[in-house]
Amino acid sequence: MMDTVIATLISGLLLGSLYAMMASGLSLVWTTLGVFNFSHGALMMLGAFVAWTVGEGAGLGVWIGSFSGIAAAMVAGVIIEYFLVRPFYGSRNMLLVTVMTTLAAMIIIEKGAQIIWGSRLKQSPRLFEGDISIGGAIISRQEAFIIVLAPLVLFAIWRFATVTATGRSLRAVGQNQDAAALIGINVNRAFSIAFALSAGLAGLTGVLLGSIRFITPSLGAEPLTKAMIVVIFGGLGSMGATAGAAYVIGFLEAFLILWLGLYWTPFILFVVMITVLILRPNGLFGRK
Amino acid sequence: MTRNRLFTITLVGIAALFFPMIFQDSYTRHLAILALIFAVIVSNWDLSLGFAGLFNFGHTTFFGVGVYTAAILAKTFEVNPWLAMIAGGLSAAVVAVIIAAPVAKLKGIYVVLVTFAFSQLALQLVLSQGQITGGAEGMVRIPSLRIGDYNFARDFKLGYYYTALGLTAISTTFLLLVARSPFGKSLRAVRDNEDYATARGISVARQRILVLVVSAIFTGIAGGFYAVYLRVASPEVFGFATLSLALSMVLIGGTGTIIGPIFAALVLTFVSEGMAGIRGFEEARFIVIAVTMIAILRIAPGGAIDLMSKAVSIGRPPPTDLKSKNT
Repeated sequence: MMDTVIATLISGLLLGSLYAMMASGLSLVWTTLGVFNFSHGALMMLGAFVAWTVGEGAGLGVWIGSFSGIAAAMVAGVIIEYFLVRPFYGSRNMLLVTVMTTLAAMIIIEKGAQIIWGSRLKQSPRLFEGDISIGGAIISRQEAFIIVLAPLVLFAIWRFATVTATGRSLRAVGQNQDAAALIGINVNRAFSIAFALSAGLAGLTGVLLGSIRFITPSLGAEPLTKAMIVVIFGGLGSMGATAGAAYVIGFLEAFLILWLGLYWTPFILFVVMITVLILRPNGLFGRK
Repeated sequence: MTRNRLFTITLVGIAALFFPMIFQDSYTRHLAILALIFAVIVSNWDLSLGFAGLFNFGHTTFFGVGVYTAAILAKTFEVNPWLAMIAGGLSAAVVAVIIAAPVAKLKGIYVVLVTFAFSQLALQLVLSQGQITGGAEGMVRIPSLRIGDYNFARDFKLGYYYTALGLTAISTTFLLLVARSPFGKSLRAVRDNEDYATARGISVARQRILVLVVSAIFTGIAGGFYAVYLRVASPEVFGFATLSLALSMVLIGGTGTIIGPIFAALVLTFVSEGMAGIRGFEEARFIVIAVTMIAILRIAPGGAIDLMSKAVSIGRPPPTDLKSKNT
């Protein structure tokens, strides 16, 4: 009994870590630009495929592969911002239009990946081999690595956003673009950085996910849906709330799977989300 | 409605009536039937997305619900396929009420997220309830439409073509009437100036619920028709491919016009299916459609119809109503 509970807790921690990295990337772009990036999941998948191609296909090793995957996602993110988001700044329906253009970007990346890499299942090699045992529950070292890495990454981004000048300029732009421009912040540059950082997070998640699951062109679809539930649950306003909500959802999902099985879990998650939204339209931890 | 537009619509209507006389092979007619189904889906979507300005990204869920309602009723419960098809519209309306409950009070991006997540949930439910819905394999051998002994698939799908045409005609008339009614005007008021609309006594939440339900009815019936026509129900109807194809039709046709998306559906179905026939284009056609969608958003946010009417009006004097406003 105790073993099952510990195993479920760890599984929840793992899910929460992945969701937190996914969702905080979404939240970063949202707070800075007011854009919800639907291609976030596709960027994740792109990172996983590039990491596999460079690391496994070209035989350059898992580390170079992983960094290439993250870099590729960042480049794609900057391209998306430049061509699909920037032209629509200040237009009346910007929110809706950018949802549509990023949705289009998602289709292009997903179908492109299918053409380039095919539908055959692939799996990246792991950074760390072997298993470890935590309180009787056995998990792979790679999964343990993800659980440890996620809070570090989130902390680093939080420090970046609060301490460094660049990070603070992102938040300034998010709060008031005109005022930020007046005090000499390059708004366009801030947008590019926010998108690159967010896409890098997606790429990192993809690289990590690609080593514990099979890589397919639709790798990003399910995590994107979960990340959406997370941001609805936590509100899009602050990264802290988003990360917190990600872990809540991760644990909830792990325990629901234990109690109700894989099939009913998405349904219950959705019902919980709707209930939260009806009671608190700005998210569970949201203010305003 | 201007006389010009009425003339065009009449002309298209007559062409549609005689279409089967010209194209007698069942493949072309099959494409035409699919195009008409999409025309119903996207014109109804335009009512909530374009007319009411509601960021509804789960419209194809209503279609999928219609598909599965009709499939389950007609096959498992052996209900008359005609009734099963209509029931698809009813159950889609019920689902619209459920989704409208949280959406009515939400703002902006949260509406997008909830409606979108809802379509994913519907997909999960269909996949997980395999004993009812057939799971990932879907359902096959759904009974087809017939009157007496006459199966509608006979004579190269002649019956199905006219049923689809009739459905499109009824749905479009209904939508145009709704759009011109006081209710339709209140929807536009909510879209263009929510605060002012509220100040004039329009309940934004109520109009949102109503527009979702109204737009779900014919979409669901179209779903039911799709099930009894193709005789299969597959979870793909809830997927990204259906959603993005339909969305591109609304955008390319022009939001808030009802008629625009219908024409876009007719053209794009043939284009998309035509590209599917080209070797190596089965997947790439979606990229082509996505790029077109982006291009339309950048060049002509009003849709291709807008672009065409601009091109036509070059060199003509500006419309009189604009002139009178300026003087």
